[in-house]
Amino acid sequence: MSLLWRMSGRELLHHRWQALLSLLGVALGVAVVVAVDLANESARRAFALSMESLTGQATHRIQAGGQGLDEGLYTQLALDPDLDVAAPTVEGVVTVQGLTLRLLGVAPFAENGVRGHLEGLEGEALTRLLTEPGAVALSVDTAASLNAAVDRPLAAQAAGRTIPLTPVALLAGDPGLDGLLLADIATAQEVLDKLGRLDRIDLVLEPGQAEELARRLPPGVRLEAAEERGDAALELANAFHLNLTAMSLLALVVGSFLIYNTLAFSVVRRRPRLATLRLVGVTPRGLFRLVLAEAALLGALGALLGLAAGWALGNALLGLVTRALNDHYFLVTVTGLTPATLSFAKGALLGLGVSLAAAWAPARQAAGASLLAARRRSADEGRARRLVQPLALWGLGLLTLAPMLIGLGPADHLVLGFAALLALILGASLLAPLAVQGLPNRLAGPLGRLFGPPGRLAARGLAASVSRSGMAVAALMVAVSATVGVGVMVESFRGTVDRWLGQTLRSDLYVSAPEGADALPPGVAERLDGVPGIRERSSGRRVEADTPRGPIDLLALGLASQSPRGFELKTGDPASAWPRVKAGEAVLISEPLAFHRGLGLGDELLLNTPAGPRRFPVAGIFYDYSAVRGMAVMERGRYRELWDDPAVSTYGLYLQPDADPDQVKQAVRGALAGHGEVLVQATGEIRARSLEIFDRTFAITHVLRLLVVGVAFIGVLSALLALQLERAREHAVLRATGLTPRGLFGLTALQTGLMGALAGLLALPLGLAMAWLLIEVINRRSFGWSMDALIPPGTLAEALLLAIAAALLAGLYPAWRMGRAPIAAALREE
Amino acid sequence: MAMRVILNQVWRAVEPRMDTNRRESLNALFAPPLRPLRYIALALLLAACTPEPPPEDGIDVGAALGGAAAEGFARADRPRAFRFPEDHGPHPAYRNEWWYFTGNLEGPKGGRYGFQLTLFRIALTPDAPQRPSRWAAQHLWMGHFAVTDVPGGRFHADEQFARGALGLAGAAQDPLRIWLKDWEIRLEDGAWRIRAAMEDAELALTLNPEKAPVLQGDNGLSQKSAEPGNASYYYSIPRLAAAGRLRLGGESIPVQGQAWLDREWSTSALGADQAGWDWFSLQFDDGRELMYYRLRKQDGTTDPHSAGSLIGPDGEVTRLAAEDVTLQPLEYWQSPAGGRYPIRWRMQVRQLEQPLTLRALLPQQEVDQSVRYWEGAVEISGPQGRVLGRGYAELTGYSRK
Repeated sequence: MSLLWRMSGRELLHHRWQALLSLLGVALGVAVVVAVDLANESARRAFALSMESLTGQATHRIQAGGQGLDEGLYTQLALDPDLDVAAPTVEGVVTVQGLTLRLLGVAPFAENGVRGHLEGLEGEALTRLLTEPGAVALSVDTAASLNAAVDRPLAAQAAGRTIPLTPVALLAGDPGLDGLLLADIATAQEVLDKLGRLDRIDLVLEPGQAEELARRLPPGVRLEAAEERGDAALELANAFHLNLTAMSLLALVVGSFLIYNTLAFSVVRRRPRLATLRLVGVTPRGLFRLVLAEAALLGALGALLGLAAGWALGNALLGLVTRALNDHYFLVTVTGLTPATLSFAKGALLGLGVSLAAAWAPARQAAGASLLAARRRSADEGRARRLVQPLALWGLGLLTLAPMLIGLGPADHLVLGFAALLALILGASLLAPLAVQGLPNRLAGPLGRLFGPPGRLAARGLAASVSRSGMAVAALMVAVSATVGVGVMVESFRGTVDRWLGQTLRSDLYVSAPEGADALPPGVAERLDGVPGIRERSSGRRVEADTPRGPIDLLALGLASQSPRGFELKTGDPASAWPRVKAGEAVLISEPLAFHRGLGLGDELLLNTPAGPRRFPVAGIFYDYSAVRGMAVMERGRYRELWDDPAVSTYGLYLQPDADPDQVKQAVRGALAGHGEVLVQATGEIRARSLEIFDRTFAITHVLRLLVVGVAFIGVLSALLALQLERAREHAVLRATGLTPRGLFGLTALQTGLMGALAGLLALPLGLAMAWLLIEVINRRSFGWSMDALIPPGTLAEALLLAIAAALLAGLYPAWRMGRAPIAAALREE
Repeated sequence: MAMRVILNQVWRAVEPRMDTNRRESLNALFAPPLRPLRYIALALLLAACTPEPPPEDGIDVGAALGGAAAEGFARADRPRAFRFPEDHGPHPAYRNEWWYFTGNLEGPKGGRYGFQLTLFRIALTPDAPQRPSRWAAQHLWMGHFAVTDVPGGRFHADEQFARGALGLAGAAQDPLRIWLKDWEIRLEDGAWRIRAAMEDAELALTLNPEKAPVLQGDNGLSQKSAEPGNASYYYSIPRLAAAGRLRLGGESIPVQGQAWLDREWSTSALGADQAGWDWFSLQFDDGRELMYYRLRKQDGTTDPHSAGSLIGPDGEVTRLAAEDVTLQPLEYWQSPAGGRYPIRWRMQVRQLEQPLTLRALLPQQEVDQSVRYWEGAVEISGPQGRVLGRGYAELTGYSRK
């Protein structure tokens, strides 16, 4: 057996470029899978950790909607000897050096074992934390990322002001503290402008205590189990994670084509030797195992390399994932990747598994090697050609399966959606060889007229070597179609959001509270009254409202006459819906909210208001892309009454027709100068900023697209190398009969260009089908967003060019090599 | 005296490890996650009681500031004139202060009970904070409450913390009221009323002073170690007639007996070479009282600053010095928590005509909270076993925490 192994080793070494490329393919595929998985897991873990560090050991929390709890409630409960109430909490967001951090205000001597963050504090640090205004403690890692040190004040933006925060202690060891500023509750109240208020009271309750406590709470104040909140947010983000994972698997699928190519090629080349081995007594099983072992070696090495690369790539992706999560779901600070054994194991297993699966057919081929057929490459081409049709039939079968999968199961079943996507890709891949066999033959005539004999030769050669070229075309097609599919989806989405922004942003100017501030300072309205050129204004109060299934966004609108035009109803009649909303009887809900909660017209939305739970009939469902967790719109008067909250987050200003927006903007700025920090923005600015956030969210998909194409590029390169080496004799004959090296180069280039064009053309329908699936099935099922399909011709042309360019580029080296190959040696092999 | 326990415990806990990385060692000490208060309390007290920062690499600005902050507090460095009832109230100019009640009670069926209720005031800053949040506090309050149930053979102890803000805890002068959540000490028309509750026990007593306050040490200035300024203002009300109700589990028992009040306030700490102490408050049936504390040094010898007083039936005070008293443990109790406490003593006082035997009513009167010490009811008997009175003992430094 050791002889066989040595042969194997020699073979791989001798064709090390081939081996290296397939190794690289697997490595890249595994790297992408591992990187996405790591980034996902790290973000998720960071979220879980930060949830944990915010709630600690708490089993329950007391909270109210809107403005939080009156601190007097804590005193009242704490002084009740029958209750063991702990951990009043004030929490909010501050920005330091552009980094968003969570400020957690705790009462160190009222924690009762809920959280242990301050355990490591020395006495004097604790004393300072308790007594100095603006004193905070933070983790060593967070301090490092802020370049913060004890006693060096940080300028923090909080509640629309800039406030110095002084670190008095650095805490080591707990990753849950990353992104957290710990402060005494008094400091948190002052910094976050929440004097007299608590966000919640965290408690550790024994079973059975909850009911008793709940009974003692005033109306509007609720006791809820601690895990509810975190779960809802995680559930939403899961869809995001799942999407990324699916994209990463695509890279691995493309990588598997590579392994197949390498091994199939090496089997073909070794046919005589393998046949000889059969003659000297090696069993077919032995040969089968030999090829599988080679695949395992390549797969294992590739996977290993992929794990290392995945770690590096994961670090790069992490920022993108985290940013997208922060923009849309929850604030999470991830300072580093968490090395998750499971991610690595998954990646390694996938790499190895895919390699073995790809090697199966070549291994079978090797086992069947016979001395008779050994010298005839045409024999296997013949077999391959006979296989093309059955494969295509399988492909067709898979393609018909795809739509059936979508119909199967409930309408929000995401996994089935991805299964359909996979069936689509595999089906198309299996059909690709048929196209490679059929199309170039038809093109032979026209190409011959265009380029002369080389044109004909290029086309025929492609069809004749379908076992090799079919695979390469399929790989390139899948990669390019992914860029088409994802590109069309993102463009459609962007177009939809842009159009929606145009529809929604009806006012000319917006006056809003700065980021981090809860509301506009009082008195803004009076000052706006004095500004000339304003015809009308609407007011909006956007808050987090609580529902039994987690928080949603609530927009309380003081409507201007034109406001309703800012909402495009997907379901419901504007003429009947708006009067009901204006009367405070009903609410409008956003499409994602309707989707996630299964709410329809006439159903009721339950909101936990400070005045107790209230039900609101749904008068209409509007398109919205701003709140992933869903949004409800309510009349502001009604909100004010229930929430006892007169604050306003935004004013929308409608200008008089003859007013100059820039002038009015300046006038508004002037009127509000010295009145706290207030944002005055023209509609265009907001639109631009929103799209910027959108692009940021999808930045990661662009990166993944490029990676998939990268893998495909390597695939084409390796396929061409195999092809050209295989054809050495053929080319030598051509050279001997008068084809110049240049001519040979041209022939090769033409052939690769043809492959690229073929892959690109095939990728278009596949890509569009993928886009349709992504838009209508995956995204809708993940986020509940509907979008208008938009097929940008640019994306399609780009895809075609990408395919041809990738193929041509990959063909350069093999073509150059062909041209220089010595004729005599190649001919002698005959 | 219990404050001294705390200070000493902190020193003992922290000192041996100070030379290594300080943060590491503190983290190691403060590791168990479910009892953070203990460590926070210790840490805070450490700061409150450390006039000089422990040696460390470089300049510790925080410690320097902490030291500077200590400058803002008044110090017990000279005798002062005491005025009552004003001095029963808080003295916020000093860093630490406590109201410390102990007593022996008896039920209608003759069942014996002991109790301890202590409220500690620990100042965070010398001045009241001028901050908008109502949570900003000048003081931190800590309370210990313990009940010895002799018939049931059980000992109950609990601890509470709160900041002196939002009405959670505090001290008010007129009428005098010191409270920590639902634990409360009041003085109304010359009578003290105390109330406290924990899960298994609840106590409400009216305490009528039967003797005038006794100034301990040098006219109320009690020197704790050789360093000048390491002293406190210290007075006791050595005998109060107690009556009220004690709830144990579901049972409410009318009780009566005698109590002792210790009042102490100070700013600075004690010497580091003291290992612990044995403190006794004894109330004899013949109308006399005795207070004595023996400061034990690390080498086991008695610190010359050990002191006490003997109070006659009419209130006349005889000061006791270290050489006047000898203490000899006769029996020990091994605590499951690790300490080994003497629970029977032979005490000889030069000014008393006969040697005394002191016996703990229950061996396990160990308070195992943020700090671990033994504080419990004792019975005094003479040479022939004749019962001479009752008292309370506090034993510290026997168990490392």
